[in-house]
Amino acid sequence: MARVDGVEDGDRRVAVDGVTKVFGADGDDPVRALDGVSFSVEEGEFVCIVGPSGCGKTTLFRIIAGLEDATDGEVRLDGNTVTGPAMDRGMVFQEYGLFPWRTVLENVAFGLEQQDASADERLERSREMIDLVGLDGFEDAYPNELSGGMKQRVGIARALAVDPALLLMDEPFGSVDAQTRNMLHDELLDIWAETEKTVLFVTHDVEEAVTLADRVVVLSGGPGTVAEVVDVDLDRPRSRTDAVFGEYQERILGLIHEN
Amino acid sequence: MSVETAADGETETAATGARASLTERFDRRSLLLGLVGSLAFLAVWQAGAMAIGRTYLLPSPVAVATAFAGELAKTETVTLPLLGELTGSKLVVKLFQSLVHYVPGLLIGTVLGVALGVAMAWSETLDDLFTPVTRVLRPIPPLAWIAFAIVWIGIGHGGAIFIVAIGAFWINFYNAYSGVEGVPQGQREVAASLGVHSDWGMIRKVVLPSASPEILTGIRTSIGQCWMIVVAAELFGAPGVGYQIINASQNLDTQVSVVYMLVISLVFLTSDALFRRVEGRVLAWRE
Repeated sequence: MARVDGVEDGDRRVAVDGVTKVFGADGDDPVRALDGVSFSVEEGEFVCIVGPSGCGKTTLFRIIAGLEDATDGEVRLDGNTVTGPAMDRGMVFQEYGLFPWRTVLENVAFGLEQQDASADERLERSREMIDLVGLDGFEDAYPNELSGGMKQRVGIARALAVDPALLLMDEPFGSVDAQTRNMLHDELLDIWAETEKTVLFVTHDVEEAVTLADRVVVLSGGPGTVAEVVDVDLDRPRSRTDAVFGEYQERILGLIHEN
Repeated sequence: MSVETAADGETETAATGARASLTERFDRRSLLLGLVGSLAFLAVWQAGAMAIGRTYLLPSPVAVATAFAGELAKTETVTLPLLGELTGSKLVVKLFQSLVHYVPGLLIGTVLGVALGVAMAWSETLDDLFTPVTRVLRPIPPLAWIAFAIVWIGIGHGGAIFIVAIGAFWINFYNAYSGVEGVPQGQREVAASLGVHSDWGMIRKVVLPSASPEILTGIRTSIGQCWMIVVAAELFGAPGVGYQIINASQNLDTQVSVVYMLVISLVFLTSDALFRRVEGRVLAWRE
């Protein structure tokens, strides 16, 4: 069995193992976006991937999601190699990716419709998820009637409805204002605590990463490599004015800049 | 959360309220102006017709209204394919003759156009295969195909259906194609991550609903355009409203031509209004 950091895969939820991505490898002008990226995520952990724009973090997200193939290396989920998008990885995008012709309830039920659930079970599960993200009362609203923050709650509820092993989030709060973002951070942490999901969260915002993560995978750019994996040893809820919080932030920023 | 929602709700209600009263005022004003404009148009038309004094050159509104009543009162019997014998007011009977090639032509062209448009936009292979052919054939006006309509089917209902179908085909092909091309990648990727893995599943659950605004616009456009094509096809001799226009003018009954011109306009306005309502209901999520 393959190993990352000398630990057996069976103990890990996600193993990113030597992932390299070269765009246009056959052409005259190949671009190396990721170079030998390795890290792992334990079950129930909240891990942020942080790095400057152009460091390949979205490419890494897409490879873990199965939307893009790695040129070299692989991603394993519970020991199984990822070969394409599937229900074991719930995805949440910055631009929501909601289905505008479906109501909130119908959006959340989308994944359940592809499973063998009965109509009653689908309805019950969808309502449960809508309650979880605090959108009760908006079941019949269309996405166009919702604010950005509410849309992203729908996105989270939809991803969680099929009970994925991993929640994959790519800059999910990049399109909402700062105040809403803070609120959504608190809610996401509550949801995480309640569902005990494993979360992998991509962001360029160091403050966001330190607010949320158990561990922060710091990528440095051109091509993206892991500069360091930082354990954030702070109790939640975390205060941004806390001196230790500031130290974590500076340390991560330093890692990004020196590499 | 509750704070954000409440704030959003308030602004929305206020905005909708302001907009509603604004449209209401505009509506009353434009209704009134529209009435004034229409009456002025009729007055100028009547005055012009009286000044010219020859009905076949310019029939007056009064002459047209009289002719309208006359056509409506005349009884006529025609035999329609599939539907059999139809007896009734001449005006209605002629309209049915046109509908016999309008409706099937529209349906055939729409179904085939949407199907090929979706298929080509979805499959790169099909796109590469057929793009050159469609590029060359698309600019050809539907009426130019009359040559083949005549030698293949003859210029009756069948020939007219053929030409109408070609017209509907290209409009729907183009709209469906660009609608499917515009489906956001994120929607397809989310669907794939939620268990949609087959092409047909993706087309049915994501691509068609996502592209439905463009597809419906295509259908609505072809509903109008196909009336133009119907009339043109009938000018070549297929029976129906268009044929009445040319036939009446050859008899110098120009007022009767105008009657059938107006019939086309009324039918178009009715079908367009009906379709807009359907569209509004299907696309309620866009508002």
